[in-house]
Amino acid sequence: MKMTPMAVVVGSLMLLAAIVFMVVYMPWATRVEEPSEILRPRSDVEARGRALYIANGCVYCHSQSIRTIDWGLGAERIAQAGDYILDQPILLGSARTGPDLSQEGGEHPDDWHIAHFTNPRYTRTLSIMPAVAYLGQQNLEDLTAYVQGLGLKQADRRMQRQRFWKQEAIRAYEAGPVANVEWLHATVPEGWRNLPNPYPTSEAGLARGHKLYQDFCLGCHGPVGDGMGPAQPYLYPPPLNFTILKDRGISGGILYYQIMNGITGTAMPYFKKELESEKIWDVGNYVAVYFINQSDANTEPRGIDAANEP
Amino acid sequence: MTTDAHTADQPYLTAKGFCITSGLWLVVATFMGLLGATELIAPDLTENIGWLVFGRIRPIHVNLVLFGFVTPGLLGAAFYYFPRLLRTRIYSDKLGVVTVLLWNLTLVAAVVSLAAGHTQGREYAEMIWPIDMLVVAVFVLVFINLIMTVRQRREPVLYVSVWYVCAAVVLTGATFSLGNVIWQPTSGALVGIPDAILLWFYGHNVFGLLLTPLAAGVAYYVIPRACQSPLYSHTLSLLGFWSLIVVYTHIGTHHLLQVPVPTWLKVISIVDSVAMVIPVMAFLINIWYTARGRLGAIHADIGAKFVFTGTIMYFFVSIQGSMMALPQVQRVTHFNNWVVAHAHVGVLGFAGMIALGGLYYVLPRIAGKPLYSRFLADFQYWMVLIGVVGFTSVLTIAGLVQGHAWLNGETVYRVIPQIHVYYVYRAALGLMIFISAVLGLYNILRTLYFNPGEAR
Ligand code: HEC
Ligand code: HEC
Ligand code: HEM
Repeated sequence: MKMTPMAVVVGSLMLLAAIVFMVVYMPWATRVEEPSEILRPRSDVEARGRALYIANGCVYCHSQSIRTIDWGLGAERIAQAGDYILDQPILLGSARTGPDLSQEGGEHPDDWHIAHFTNPRYTRTLSIMPAVAYLGQQNLEDLTAYVQGLGLKQADRRMQRQRFWKQEAIRAYEAGPVANVEWLHATVPEGWRNLPNPYPTSEAGLARGHKLYQDFCLGCHGPVGDGMGPAQPYLYPPPLNFTILKDRGISGGILYYQIMNGITGTAMPYFKKELESEKIWDVGNYVAVYFINQSDANTEPRGIDAANEP
Repeated sequence: MTTDAHTADQPYLTAKGFCITSGLWLVVATFMGLLGATELIAPDLTENIGWLVFGRIRPIHVNLVLFGFVTPGLLGAAFYYFPRLLRTRIYSDKLGVVTVLLWNLTLVAAVVSLAAGHTQGREYAEMIWPIDMLVVAVFVLVFINLIMTVRQRREPVLYVSVWYVCAAVVLTGATFSLGNVIWQPTSGALVGIPDAILLWFYGHNVFGLLLTPLAAGVAYYVIPRACQSPLYSHTLSLLGFWSLIVVYTHIGTHHLLQVPVPTWLKVISIVDSVAMVIPVMAFLINIWYTARGRLGAIHADIGAKFVFTGTIMYFFVSIQGSMMALPQVQRVTHFNNWVVAHAHVGVLGFAGMIALGGLYYVLPRIAGKPLYSRFLADFQYWMVLIGVVGFTSVLTIAGLVQGHAWLNGETVYRVIPQIHVYYVYRAALGLMIFISAVLGLYNILRTLYFNPGEAR
């Protein structure tokens, strides 16, 4: 074959045109146009937040695309083409340095996000996400609105739940510590309330609890458990001061349940995805021993001792 | 590959300009990479300096590597070997110098606008519309200069390097315009899933239709030259060239295998990703057989040494890439540092190594004097080689840790502390590469200016 300039330039352009027709035009011409069941347009403030999301490069660390094989945040719903038909540009992302955010809306209340954006280490001690406080309060609120809308109609349902329980939690908090603790414990199912921690306190267990506390709880509840961690100024109701729990009907079961399930409406997140059972007992007992100074570990009823107990 | 006395006395101003551009932006680009890597270890180091936030540093790093370092480096060599292969002078060095200046202006504009948060948010297509236009203009100017040089040639036969460079410049002009959706100046994007398909069609073609053919062009020039042996096979050149254009353009959707895009498109992208062995091996067999028995000559020339190492990296990155396009593999490797490792083998190990090789091959010939310091060039060679191999090792391990943990149901937050140590290694390796880039720039400048060497 004789390679003339014509052959090289025109030939390769013609090939390109044919291939663009097939792998770009055809998928566009046959694109999905039906909205999925969760689709709704974004509000103006959400759109402003989305522009901030783009301008600050959140897309390089966060995907918005849940796969069939996912377990993490948002994995209750696999992505569909109809979820994206209003997105220009689409923000699928290519890396998960941070978690997928497709269904982030309503995972946390707004105050959690403001604290987290101000500095992610405030709510998540080991986070490597950049702080974006430089954006200023108004922008942080817009960004929060966008993030709270991720998941669209599904996020709206979760946000309704957050708002409902936020009101309840604030009412309880403002009624004073005694009423607050009563309310907190009344939300825990009866069976859990009467359940002591079935495992004995051990040095190893407390050491594990200490590490877990530092990695997961410190930013809110503070190094001494008084609720004065760096996130405190941003959160309302503020993180619980554990010392007020003494002699107020606290139990291993309540601690376990609250840590596992979180307290929707408050900044207290659930840890059931993050911590396995033993870790939840350990960090709960750490809080009980060091901060509440009252632990029911290894009291009756506790069933048969587990095989690893000393 | 004959040359004339007629071509010997050119000033090679355009080539010079592109070489300096490349060396300079390599320093800036690797600095940005190092800064980003450091932020992943110490996120509060630059706390509340908005324009240094990770999400803005990262696109600056990537765009500067692609369009500031690698592309100008490879073009610098092309502007040297075009006149020589075509036995003529470059069409217009004046136009060339204007192009180089405009190119640098474009890069400065890109850095400033991205740091200020003006981005369209699409990977590899971040730059806003006016800058997109500048990029297109620059490609048009480069094309005019090259194609006019071809037209005034005194050598009837077009050598394979010339095909590759002409095709790379034209096709990238086209795919860049398409991929940046330049008919939509504000958003620079389509809507929904088709936007992702177009973006990755273009994104993959940055490697496939720009870096790869430009790098292949340099390898096809430097290796036979350094070995003083004719090219192994014209047929393989043809096969490699046309199959590259046909196959590479089909595979962009392998970035979207886990996304709701049409299945037929995924199938095409997977099949063609595996079929990439055809253009890859056609090129590599051709180069490696040309060099057979002459590795001594390659070792002796620092430029050729860089280029040859780049071809080995090309082998690795392509075989790895074909594997990564298999859905079963991608279940583990997608979304994590494995992909970052692959990207660095491709862009720094393959295209970047060859860009540096082209640079060090042509610089002494442009200057008419030996390289200012062979030692510094060798030092840079080893730093980049250790850097790339090191990156690949640590980021692949980190990627496997992440990928397997996630498949096992662990949350992203839980895995962060596990990969911390690999981020530390990565930043240390990045520091080595950055230091060698600074020394490299010094070497380039001293070779061209204030070179104490004997003229030859
Ligand atoms: C360097 C990568 C990186 C960048 C850039 C980044 N993040 Fe994150 N993000 C993370 C990591 C890691 C986590 C997990 C730890 C944590 O919660 O802080 C996270 C967590 C989050 C979460 C909490 C998810 C949850 O419910 O647990 C939100 C919301 C979030 N990021 C939003 C953003 C927004 C908005 C931006 C852009 C301003 C952004 N991120 C930029 C890495 C990043
Ligand atoms: C983002 C901030 C935040 C983090 C992180 C956090 N908490 Fe909380 N926590 C709260 C808030 C806010 C409350 C509820 C305050 C209220 O309603 O008065 C709370 C309440 C609780 C309660 C309820 C006590 C009760 O008697 O009902 C427990 C137990 C608790 N936290 C334990 C933990 C543990 C253990 C961790 C770490 C694994 C942790 N928290 C992490 C903010 C946080
Ligand atoms: C046969 C050749 C190749 C194949 C089949 C291939 C395949 C792939 C695949 C499947 C991905 C996506 C990974 C994922 O997201 O899970 C990828 C990413 C990437 N590849 Fe390759 N690759 C090849 C060669 C190259 C070369 C030569 C380069 C560089 C010159 C390169 C640079 C990149 C980069 C930079 C990315 C990262 C894209 C991103 O930002 O997500 N690849 N490749």
